[in-house]
Amino acid sequence: MSHSYRIKTALSRRKVLQHGVAGLGLLLLSPFAWASGAWQQLDAAQQVLNGATPITQGLTLDLPHVSEDGSAVPLGIQFNGDLADGDYLTDIHLFAAGNPQPEIATFRLNELSRYPDIATRVRLNETQHVVAIAKSHQGQTFAVSQEVRITVSGCLMRGEDNQPEPLTNPRVSVNQQVAAGDALEVRTLINHPMETGLREDSNGERLPRHIIEQFTVRLGDEVAFEAELHQSISANPYLRFHLTPHQSGELVFEWQDDQDKQARHTSELSVS
Amino acid sequence: MSQPWNRLSRRQLLKGLGGASALPLLGAMPSLAIGGQHAGHVVVVGGGFGGATAAKYLKRANPAIKVTLVEPAEVFYTCPFSNLFLGGLRDMRSIAHNYDELRQRYDVDVIHALAEDIDADTHKVRLSTGDTLHYDRLVLSPGVDMRWDALDGYDEATAEKAPHAWKAGHQTTLLKQQLEAMEDGGTFIMVAPDNPYRCPPGPYERAGMVAHYFKEHKPSSKVLILDAKDNFSKQGLFTAGWQHLYGDRIEWVGLSNDGRVTRVDADNLEVETEFGTRHRADVLNVIPPQKAGWIADRAGVTDSSGWVPVKPDTFESQQVNDIYVVGDATVAAPMPKSGFCANAQAKVVAAAIASSLEQQPAPTAYWANTCYSLVGPNYGISVAGVYRVTDGAIAEVAGAGGISPADAPDTVRALEAEYAVGWYNAICQDTWGTQV
Repeated sequence: MSHSYRIKTALSRRKVLQHGVAGLGLLLLSPFAWASGAWQQLDAAQQVLNGATPITQGLTLDLPHVSEDGSAVPLGIQFNGDLADGDYLTDIHLFAAGNPQPEIATFRLNELSRYPDIATRVRLNETQHVVAIAKSHQGQTFAVSQEVRITVSGCLMRGEDNQPEPLTNPRVSVNQQVAAGDALEVRTLINHPMETGLREDSNGERLPRHIIEQFTVRLGDEVAFEAELHQSISANPYLRFHLTPHQSGELVFEWQDDQDKQARHTSELSVS
Repeated sequence: MSQPWNRLSRRQLLKGLGGASALPLLGAMPSLAIGGQHAGHVVVVGGGFGGATAAKYLKRANPAIKVTLVEPAEVFYTCPFSNLFLGGLRDMRSIAHNYDELRQRYDVDVIHALAEDIDADTHKVRLSTGDTLHYDRLVLSPGVDMRWDALDGYDEATAEKAPHAWKAGHQTTLLKQQLEAMEDGGTFIMVAPDNPYRCPPGPYERAGMVAHYFKEHKPSSKVLILDAKDNFSKQGLFTAGWQHLYGDRIEWVGLSNDGRVTRVDADNLEVETEFGTRHRADVLNVIPPQKAGWIADRAGVTDSSGWVPVKPDTFESQQVNDIYVVGDATVAAPMPKSGFCANAQAKVVAAAIASSLEQQPAPTAYWANTCYSLVGPNYGISVAGVYRVTDGAIAEVAGAGGISPADAPDTVRALEAEYAVGWYNAICQDTWGTQV
């Protein structure tokens, strides 16, 4: 129920973006004109594509056109394209084409997370294209890109640089009861500085890289969802995704950073 | 007729402060009339900082332009300084303005009605009175509307129990009454929205003003801000000021510490955050996500974000010709959604429309903005910016503007509190002609 409904709304939103909204001026500014170039010119994306020509319908990025705080830009990625019966997306790669290191994250999906509707928050250094590339189990590839304008406003200056304690306060929000086959929304948040390794402190010393690299969700013994995170994920990583469990069990959430430290959170799931 | 020009020097001074660029027009004598009647009809919808300024500066640019201002309220209350009313520093009368100057001095036709619909093809505005106005150019200054569908449990009806007070007037007095009725020892909870929203520093000024009221009248009471973002305007200055004046009376919980509220239970004055934390308030102030005022939707100028994309040089809609939009409704970042910006944008629009009616190119636009905030009665802080169009987009001019110093003595904060009052009086005189 919720599955088909969501896909419908996502589709209509895309239609609005393509047809309804666009006055002439917007069309001229729109990324459609050269969006295909955004991944063609990005080495990291080309490596993932490995010579394949991606389908440009079906994958959608949900990003603000303008953001006043490049340190935490909300990003959503959904899929409502055509796939063969039984096929599903296995990998979604996100890139910030204009960041010093373009990788944002890679999401690994499987039969327990085959409903791709994922959200996070990302760092964008400047106005640029965000690129998403997805691969399906049977080898289809999809790509999409969207431009985000970053304006650094003096009015929105940040406060003192109070860095969060790494791997503290893991938070999970999930309905503990779900009907088999339904898409279950999961939201997670954990405190971590996600220090990029590119910043300097007040004395001009480079702050060493310190980020969460891996996020894994298990249901019982099975891996249900994985995310590889990079420097372009915002501090205090937030992830919203969906699971499609068929049986009850313990959900285990695990975050691991590049100093081999972990945080864990567990939650009982009852599937009817 | 000569009366307006007698005050030119003072107005020029104000305009310098406002940073608008109608100046080139004052030099050129406009040709007065088309067809012996008027030089074009401009309808302005909305009588706030943006609309009232646009109406006045259109007349100043060319008195032969017929200008009609449509605004339902006979008395306009400003959001700037409405927090001072909540803090007990001012009464509502002191933030009230009317349209006498526009009518009497500038010959603007002010109609107190609601603009109910706009037909951009036929250039018509339908009013709640049943009348229809035809325009050559339309200025929309619609302000913001609350997104009543954005927060579970929060809509127009529940806003009577948990006021937003993000439009000054009835909502402001309602919140003030609730603060006055609250027992000492209570908790005032403010729910602050994610960007973009009207007046970036506004919630944090309000927190200080409410804390001041508590300090004077209800010393055991607390302020808790639940925020949908991790950074806010003048954050370091606010945080230091709160600590200095109110100790730990104000607590702020940001997005990354589960500050984002996703559900409101107005009957029980309770809110729930994204990760399930529940907070109970004695007075609950919910500032919900916002969008451009609804008449902008009717005009077809909003995009999927709910706000209005404009051409940066003129603030004409990117989507509909001959409709110009100013103020909080627009996508003008990095300019903030402030009264000062609305006033400055309106001057650019007035100049652009006066030029376009004469088939002339618009003068080069630039803008300035200052946001003063009071942390306490004698404790002011500010941020200022100057903006130009660079590479087809509005950009902040590097090295111009700035922010109050971090470690300033109390005397500097007291002076900025005085400047804030000076700013308010000047911009209200510029916009509505209100004399102090």
